[in-house]
Amino acid sequence: MQKHHITAIIILMVFGVMGALAASDFLALMKPDVLHPAATLTRTGWLSEYFDTIKDTGGDTRIYYFDSGEPGATVLLLGGTHPNEPAAFVAATVVLENIKVTRGRVLVMPQACASGFTCTDPFEAYPQFYTIEGKSGPRKFRFGSRVSSPLDQWPDPLVYSHYPSGQQLSGFETRNLNRSYPGRPDGTFSEQVAYAIVQLIKQENVDVAFDLHEAAPEIPIINAIVYHEKCEEVALSAVLNLEMEGMRYSPELSPANFHGLSHREWGDNTQVLPFLMETSNIIQGRLRGRTNVALILEGNSIRYREALESGALRIDYDPNGQPLEMRVGRHIQGFIEILNAYNEYYEDNMVLIGNLPTYPEIMEKGIGHYLN
Amino acid sequence: MHVCTKIAGVLFVFGLLFVSTQAGDEEAARKFEQPILISSAGQSADMKLIGMLAKKQKLDAKAVNMAQVSDLDGIKTLIIVPGFSSKGLGAAGVSQKEEMERVEKLVAAAQEKKIPIVMIHIGGNARRKGQSDAFNKLTAEVAERMIVVQQGDEDGFFSEIAREKKIPITLVEKIAEVATPLGELF
Repeated sequence: MQKHHITAIIILMVFGVMGALAASDFLALMKPDVLHPAATLTRTGWLSEYFDTIKDTGGDTRIYYFDSGEPGATVLLLGGTHPNEPAAFVAATVVLENIKVTRGRVLVMPQACASGFTCTDPFEAYPQFYTIEGKSGPRKFRFGSRVSSPLDQWPDPLVYSHYPSGQQLSGFETRNLNRSYPGRPDGTFSEQVAYAIVQLIKQENVDVAFDLHEAAPEIPIINAIVYHEKCEEVALSAVLNLEMEGMRYSPELSPANFHGLSHREWGDNTQVLPFLMETSNIIQGRLRGRTNVALILEGNSIRYREALESGALRIDYDPNGQPLEMRVGRHIQGFIEILNAYNEYYEDNMVLIGNLPTYPEIMEKGIGHYLN
Repeated sequence: MHVCTKIAGVLFVFGLLFVSTQAGDEEAARKFEQPILISSAGQSADMKLIGMLAKKQKLDAKAVNMAQVSDLDGIKTLIIVPGFSSKGLGAAGVSQKEEMERVEKLVAAAQEKKIPIVMIHIGGNARRKGQSDAFNKLTAEVAERMIVVQQGDEDGFFSEIAREKKIPITLVEKIAEVATPLGELF
């Protein structure tokens, strides 16, 4: 064997080891997160029950049903539409691990974009997992991608044309669940998942639906409740009630001409009253600096603080950061108050829920206290 | 200087202060007339909240987010709620520039028709700086009264305009607390 053959074999072996390590890391994201629903759970189902084309694909996802058995409103709560927005997934998880429904029904879908939990966004250096100390030990959750995995939908077009409006967006958005509503049965992977969710809303006669999100601090729509025009009074009442509890939310009316989003298309295409809530998530910010698990959990960035102190920052930024507790607490308190406001306006079709931690309780005891 | 002259001088200064305070009190206690037109400057949904509070105060008010000059017909007071919202601009289908032009025209028409303008800012930090302050400044400077939720005035932005332009300003802690001073204006 010649010297250059030995060099080639060594290089191949190094790449082989690196490939194996990367594959192992990548495959670790295929393992589903383990959730422990509250004892009040009445049924666990799958999204594919509403559109069987997505059965056994990366788009199918679990739905947790909490049915009081008493007549009342049906509520749908979505977390994980964008798996890189952890407060949305964790808030839905806290709800499903604690909720008690005494009137009406609550359906929780904590990982709406299941495919996005199986990868991370390229070039963002996001961590793959984060861990929260729960009541029965550490709870490890996946931190995924904003969009569906390219293994489920590929290639991206240069320009994404939304169905049926024809609205054009960047090609990357073709895998974004929250740009794919109302979807279509013979469409792309993301359009099929969106279609299944719309079928769920229709077939279950969902009255109120929530889509939880987070956004970079520099995005104008943070700490906000985005609402469809048909539920304006409920949204504004909730904003006032939340403010009385010391929590500020900006009310934001869903633009009628911005298509593909839950707060627009669910409202236009179904009977439901849709709400989308946003918190400020520093790990999505462009100035975040070193990208690690601490950024997810503590929500604090030296770089943003420096920018604030220099006077260059022109956004509302809390130098103490926005830890995951705060963001999850805001989502859950917003969920509670919107339903309280809904009950004021729809007394004959109320939904009554309990046993959910309030914002002050989460801030005091931490999220882990409410994870089984 | 003669003692009598000094006393007269002191009395004169006190007299001026008294008249000025009285005038300030009168200005602050000034009553505005109804009907009211409530509009946005920047298309935030904060305007809708003020519409809701006005309704609770049983005021004769209509809230029109894209109010035009023609909407001022028969109106006795114009309330403007400033604050930029990209979603709101999208909902209204206008650009930031077009929105600014609409507000400028509305303000100019109100001034021409001698319709007093009240500015109410409730959006706190979320409706400050960035793209909001151009709308905040424009409407604050032409207002005859201002009601501001304190978080939006942490840097004294509105208080400073109020001081410079001698505009009575009421600062409140929470949005719901706007209802009382709003009701008292009419």
